[in-house]
Amino acid sequence: MRTPVYAIIDLNTRTSARFEIDESMYRKYIGGKILGARLLYDLTPAGVDPLGPDAVVIINTSPANGTGAPCSSRFNMTFKNVLTGGIASSNCGGQFGVLMKRAGYDGIILRGQSETPCVISIVDKQITFSDAGELWGKDTEETQNAFPKIYGKLVIGPAGENLVRYAAAVSGERVAGRCGAGAVLGAKKIKAIVAYGTQRPYVAKPEKFAKYVKKWVSFLRNHPMTGEALPNYGSAGLVSKANATNALPTHNFKYGHFKDAQAVSGETLADKYLVRNSSCISCPIRCERRVQVDGKEVKGPEYETCGFFGPNIDCISMENMLRLNYQCDLLGMDTISLASSIAFAMELKENGLADFGVSFGNSDNLIEIVEKIAAREGIYGELANGSKWLSEKYGGKEYAMHSKGLEMASYEPRRSVGMGLGYATSNRGGCHLNGGYLALLESVGVLSMDALSTSAKPAFTAFFQNALEAISASGFCLFSAQSFVPAILFKLGPHHKVTRAVGKIATHMGGGVRALLWMLPILRFNSLYLFPHAEVLRLVTGLPFYTGSFVHLGDRGYNMERLYNFREGLTGKDDSLPDRLTKMPQDPNNPRTIVNLDKMLPIYYRIRGWNTDGSPSKRTLRKLGIRV
Amino acid sequence: MPYFITGDCNGCTACAKQCPVLAIEGVAKERHKVNIRRCVSCGVCGRICPRGAILDGHGNLCKSVPRSQWSKPVVDTKTCSACGICVTWCRADALRISLPAFHGDIHVFAELYQPNKCVGCGLCEENCPVGAIRMAEVHA
Repeated sequence: MRTPVYAIIDLNTRTSARFEIDESMYRKYIGGKILGARLLYDLTPAGVDPLGPDAVVIINTSPANGTGAPCSSRFNMTFKNVLTGGIASSNCGGQFGVLMKRAGYDGIILRGQSETPCVISIVDKQITFSDAGELWGKDTEETQNAFPKIYGKLVIGPAGENLVRYAAAVSGERVAGRCGAGAVLGAKKIKAIVAYGTQRPYVAKPEKFAKYVKKWVSFLRNHPMTGEALPNYGSAGLVSKANATNALPTHNFKYGHFKDAQAVSGETLADKYLVRNSSCISCPIRCERRVQVDGKEVKGPEYETCGFFGPNIDCISMENMLRLNYQCDLLGMDTISLASSIAFAMELKENGLADFGVSFGNSDNLIEIVEKIAAREGIYGELANGSKWLSEKYGGKEYAMHSKGLEMASYEPRRSVGMGLGYATSNRGGCHLNGGYLALLESVGVLSMDALSTSAKPAFTAFFQNALEAISASGFCLFSAQSFVPAILFKLGPHHKVTRAVGKIATHMGGGVRALLWMLPILRFNSLYLFPHAEVLRLVTGLPFYTGSFVHLGDRGYNMERLYNFREGLTGKDDSLPDRLTKMPQDPNNPRTIVNLDKMLPIYYRIRGWNTDGSPSKRTLRKLGIRV
Repeated sequence: MPYFITGDCNGCTACAKQCPVLAIEGVAKERHKVNIRRCVSCGVCGRICPRGAILDGHGNLCKSVPRSQWSKPVVDTKTCSACGICVTWCRADALRISLPAFHGDIHVFAELYQPNKCVGCGLCEENCPVGAIRMAEVHA
């Protein structure tokens, strides 16, 4: 076993110190966002300003990062959430993580604040600082081009420099987008962090590992979801599926169906604009789109961008969407929060509360406006604060589509109520991935659990939140878990009686999933068809990881994050959704089309072993081995 | 074991230019040095040095080998999952992921598209997670 090596970087004095993570802590928290949450909890006092000098930013990897296992290039950033004030963990598939690990560090902890813009380089175990000079002010592409091609880079764009609250950090063409990852680096005046080294990552059982990886790669390539649907249409392929089930947010989440959704769907993208598909390093799924726009080949949009720069603002121009997506990457901004804030501003104008020069159905002027937001120019500086801030100033709280302050992703919760519960309870705010991503079972996948029923949803949400937490923390892309839906169901199709029966049974499996959650410590098996990640983690770390202990690890992480949120003042009261989702039915003729949070939350808390106010109980913490 | 540059080096920079991990440091016309933290013992410098000034990890003098005899990666296109790890490690830009054969083709793989740029370091073979790359002598 090898414990992770971290570096503490003090930006005030521009010095760094190396330290090893304690073995017992490593066994419990492993790495990535879970270890990040623990370190953040321990290293910061309550109530620090996320953009102030006392804030701490943790950029770390996981044991599986860089080992060559499928989809294992994702590194993690943990910091205090700029938008919610709670915990933030942002995950990115760029090369930076792999190369930081090869440079000899499993993670870095950034403290203090640099006086002048700086660049940190982590090369062959040595950490050096230099002035950013002319790089400050440049976009993410130009900044990255200033360094050798083989280096791993993590940079911010003008949006991060100007402290746009949802600014993103960019590595290669991949983005740590959510929660303001770019803003926290911008506040510390870090323009770029680069890493390079040639140290091979530690693998405890290399031969068995190599064999298992081959097996897993071939499984992923032969699965209809990860081997066909995702490479063919990318995540954008979900647009038409969500539209068909009325789960595609339209007109700032007012409706769930957009009549022209075909124009902005993954199929149209693949037919008209796609040049080729691409991937993060080490990923055999290859869902990234490379598209042609204005004569240049650039990265294409993901599902959320398609949904938000399309139906959610009533626009059907794919070209504008591609340009906006590329521009957001250059400026370093999260497309979800940006587009959702714009949609909110459009509705404010519609209701006569404020006018930012944006209106539904028009995306032609957005390119200009997005640039102004990144520069925080004039009134557009207000849009850079996110929809929660806007709703507090101008009103319209019932349709400011965020939870805890973080804008929701492009899944309409009233047509997948489990996703609604996930948004409300997610530790980092309105996030589909941290929220359990039940939309995949309810509205956009091949299975169709009753999307309106609250039955079984709390149990499924808790289970998947834990599982996704563990997958993220062990360094894998969550798409690698999409293969857990049996291939046979894809072959039969969503309308086959067997597929429908499985969906129906799942709706009544709440008790079963609850029992499963209780039985986690005794589930000592690993399966390629369930969580191959657990087996890879076992082979890489040499620690006894099984399906049960793997999900249990996620449970520990989720509770750790929750504790941090409680300490920072985000309590059970913040497990809420805007009134549009909880009080106004999507279909006025069907009163079931709301998210009945009042019914689901108490059951969810009970399943998680939390108190009625939503805080983790002492008993649960003892069971999970968390000491505070 | 890292490689070593002896006093016979005249600073021609040939090795530094080709080192796939940028491990050789030094200025032109002066003796170069191998960064031992970074050297991956691929042997490129030994094969390229015109003065025989490089010792391998065991202290043996490396012989210069004509470029036409350097081994090059051969990709098993059926096993290759196009994960891009080899392309990432190839500093020489000799490898790439193949372009789709037709619009919408998803069956792509790694390919040696600039064979004359390949330095035969073998990092692609070493890092391939599915063992789809084999270094072999290719005679043009």
